[in-house]
Amino acid sequence: MATKIRRLTLATGWLLVTFVAGLPVFGVVLGLWLSPPISWEQVSVFFTYNGLLSSVLSSLLLSLLAPIIALYVAFTVYSQYRFNPRWQALEQRLAPLLSLPHLAVALGIVYLFSSGGMVWSVLWELFGSTPPEWFGLGRKSLLSMLIAISIKEVPFFLFIFSALGRQLAIKDWLLQGRALGYSESASWWLLVFPTVLKQSRLALLAAMAFTLSVLDISLLIGPNIPELYAVVLYNWQTGFTADEQAMAFLGNLLLLTMLGVLVAAIYTHEWFAIKRIRTLAVMANPLKITRLARIFTAWLGLFSLLTLAILLTFLLWSLGWNTQSPFSAASWSTTLWQDEWFFMQTPLLNSLNIAFFSSVLGVAITLIALELQRQSKRYLPDYVWLLAILLPQLSMVYGWQIAHTDMSASYSTAWIVLSHLPFTFAYSYLVLRGPFQSLDRHYELVAASFGYSYWQRWWQVRFMLLRPALLSALAIAFSVSVAQYIPTLMLGAGRVSTITTEAVAIASGNEQSITAVYMLVQAALPFIAFFIASVLAQRLRGSFDAAHQ
Amino acid sequence: MVLLLAALCVPSVAIGNDALNDLNDSQASQLESTKQWQQTLATARGETVYFYAWGGSKPVNDYLRWAAREIASRYKVRLRHVKVADISEAVSRLKAEDGSKSAIDLLWVNGENFSYLKEQKLLLGGLTSVIPNSTLLATEELSLRNDFGVPMDGFEIPWGVGQFNIIANENVFAQMSITPADILSAAKKQPGRMSYPRPPEFHGTTFLKQLLVALSHNDERLFELATPEAQQQLLPTLWNYLDKLHPLLWQKGSAFPSSNTEQLALFQQNQQAMTVSFNPNQISKEQDEKRIPQSAKRVYFEGGAITNSHNLAIPKGAQSPAGAKVVIHFLLSELAQERKLNGSWGDPAVITPLLDEVSTLPAQQELHSSWQQMIEDTWQQRYGA
Repeated sequence: MATKIRRLTLATGWLLVTFVAGLPVFGVVLGLWLSPPISWEQVSVFFTYNGLLSSVLSSLLLSLLAPIIALYVAFTVYSQYRFNPRWQALEQRLAPLLSLPHLAVALGIVYLFSSGGMVWSVLWELFGSTPPEWFGLGRKSLLSMLIAISIKEVPFFLFIFSALGRQLAIKDWLLQGRALGYSESASWWLLVFPTVLKQSRLALLAAMAFTLSVLDISLLIGPNIPELYAVVLYNWQTGFTADEQAMAFLGNLLLLTMLGVLVAAIYTHEWFAIKRIRTLAVMANPLKITRLARIFTAWLGLFSLLTLAILLTFLLWSLGWNTQSPFSAASWSTTLWQDEWFFMQTPLLNSLNIAFFSSVLGVAITLIALELQRQSKRYLPDYVWLLAILLPQLSMVYGWQIAHTDMSASYSTAWIVLSHLPFTFAYSYLVLRGPFQSLDRHYELVAASFGYSYWQRWWQVRFMLLRPALLSALAIAFSVSVAQYIPTLMLGAGRVSTITTEAVAIASGNEQSITAVYMLVQAALPFIAFFIASVLAQRLRGSFDAAHQ
Repeated sequence: MVLLLAALCVPSVAIGNDALNDLNDSQASQLESTKQWQQTLATARGETVYFYAWGGSKPVNDYLRWAAREIASRYKVRLRHVKVADISEAVSRLKAEDGSKSAIDLLWVNGENFSYLKEQKLLLGGLTSVIPNSTLLATEELSLRNDFGVPMDGFEIPWGVGQFNIIANENVFAQMSITPADILSAAKKQPGRMSYPRPPEFHGTTFLKQLLVALSHNDERLFELATPEAQQQLLPTLWNYLDKLHPLLWQKGSAFPSSNTEQLALFQQNQQAMTVSFNPNQISKEQDEKRIPQSAKRVYFEGGAITNSHNLAIPKGAQSPAGAKVVIHFLLSELAQERKLNGSWGDPAVITPLLDEVSTLPAQQELHSSWQQMIEDTWQQRYGA
């Protein structure tokens, strides 16, 4: 009887997990199934599309470099902050730094630092002149995009490292490093970095997939001669002629191939990096990178300053300030806030509601997926679980929409929660897999020897030790749910509007004052989630914090 | 096409307009009293109408909030504006629904999206004959029978009119009407300050169409199917011109604004000296809000401004078609059209009682739709990478 129940539970568990992790494939297959047949002529038209190669190459370059730069910067920052009092400050401030939407960061950076941007104008004005035309970031260029995304992803990686670090015996490794005669910063790179790099594969892949397919930032600050690949693909996908549909189909296949290239690049980079580190370790060469590391102690200050500058810019915009009138003569008013606040309340509540349920469910199902794999002693490849992040969202959701319509289903919040679930699941898997797998089994063995049952061990040891990582996962999943536009609109059909469906639609009009209002409110939700998570996380301690502090 | 030709120029029929108005008004009120319309009104009571419309403009959103209040109190119909970033999202939904029960009751559409929906038979027809206020439409005066060369045939109802114009700093153009040569010399005078939205963005393509018409001196072949010979003879002048213009543009033509709204933002931030618009009243609305210099000027192409309408359509599978018809009826009323024109949106009216020849720009006929794809593809081929 007991085995039967056990088997039944296991089967149900696998069924549930397969369902959620498989939804993306289902959507893509159903969405592409209905494509018109493709002729060879269309294939040749596709490959001779002017600028295709340069679009693909610049998108690949960007998606490869920006996350890797962010990862290196984040690791250096982490190594400089982890074991000193400033770590507390950094952890506390990660919340606001993480919660600014990508679009807001991109808009802010370009507005402040482009040629003729605010910062340069103000600086030069101090000396009574105007900055030269060539000075500053391009309004639309690969470099601006690279810088904006690299800057924006650093707090994301720090967040991942902070969750990882609670499970790794970093302090011991550094001690061992010292015993071997390495300096502390050399030990960070030689001993800690290889492990962290391996454990961050998923995060790296998620950041790369995001960069590859992000549309709004690409349109706004990306180069457009040639356009980035995401924009080219979007133009095909929103076209309705048979030719455009054929291009969109082939374009999606190409996008998947590009993802494959990025996955290969992650492993190649890892291989090279670790080989290089091994060589350096054997040669006992002083690491050049460690000399630079000191500079990164300034990161928290600089990044906070940047975030404040962006927030301030948005706040001023939302109060009616613009470039036309001098600062003192601007017509300040809070009318916009008062007008919009009335209409924002329902979308805000909807967002909270949907994000709460989809993040809690997403994290719970992630735990089930991890536990099932632990029991079967075989972990499936990561990409199987991360399909929601990796597959093209537009095709995926289009497939879901067809299924949803065919079932004549209602347009209720429950369906939206279901459509967010694959995404919250994938991101919580991303955050939780490392901590879950590297959790010291010793504690559970000890508990077992005291006669704790399986469930008792699970709840009172494993779950408790995972709590900090669980909080991180919840916060990330929550903000991922808040940020969903396409699934919310397509399955909610406008019956359920969220702050993001409103904000994205409004941002498409490039009206700075009202865009600023919605961006600020939109940023507030993840801010609250990250803030609560970081406050709670500091009270709880993870397994290694408990053991090593 | 013939109809569109007939309505090429906006005629100056100031006399007789009143008589026409009275006629239209009485037609409208006659239709309103029919049993069929009373039935529609009765069915519509208590319905909720989900109106899919671009949500990127605060003035438009505010206008629809006002309309929703009015419609609720007058007809007991609830109007809900479903804001989308791009109306193709609504078209994609209709495609997925494939004519079955639809989540959309009403949508704001024109051009290729309309053409696709009509061709796929996804729209409710016969709107003109059932909506009383559609008799007020200034069909002849504003050439409202076709949408980019596709006959509307009652599958959509005009809501407003767009006329292509350029808003520029005062020192850019000397005249109110301009030629391609004026643009080139302005770009020479102020290198790096002029640009246009990157085609295939709709405003950018229209800018190229205006240039092509002007450069080929209004060649008749532009209004017919684009034959290979016509292309070979007409298009090179445009490319030669652009070859000269692009190096003088913003970022030396190595980047373009992604849309008209982005170019407007760049103009507001004084990064560019001009922006393009389809709303002839946009300049005064922007100046009222003090977002662009008071000295800025609106100019249009010498041969006339390419003019088209933006329209309202009801999907075949709409759940509240009666409610949607009532909403259209209200949006075409004098009250609603007047508010649209004189409120913060400033979108020109489409009904005869509010026709305003003074502020209407001379109209330029749309090119045959086959030219659009040609222009966009060749542009991509020559300048896209």
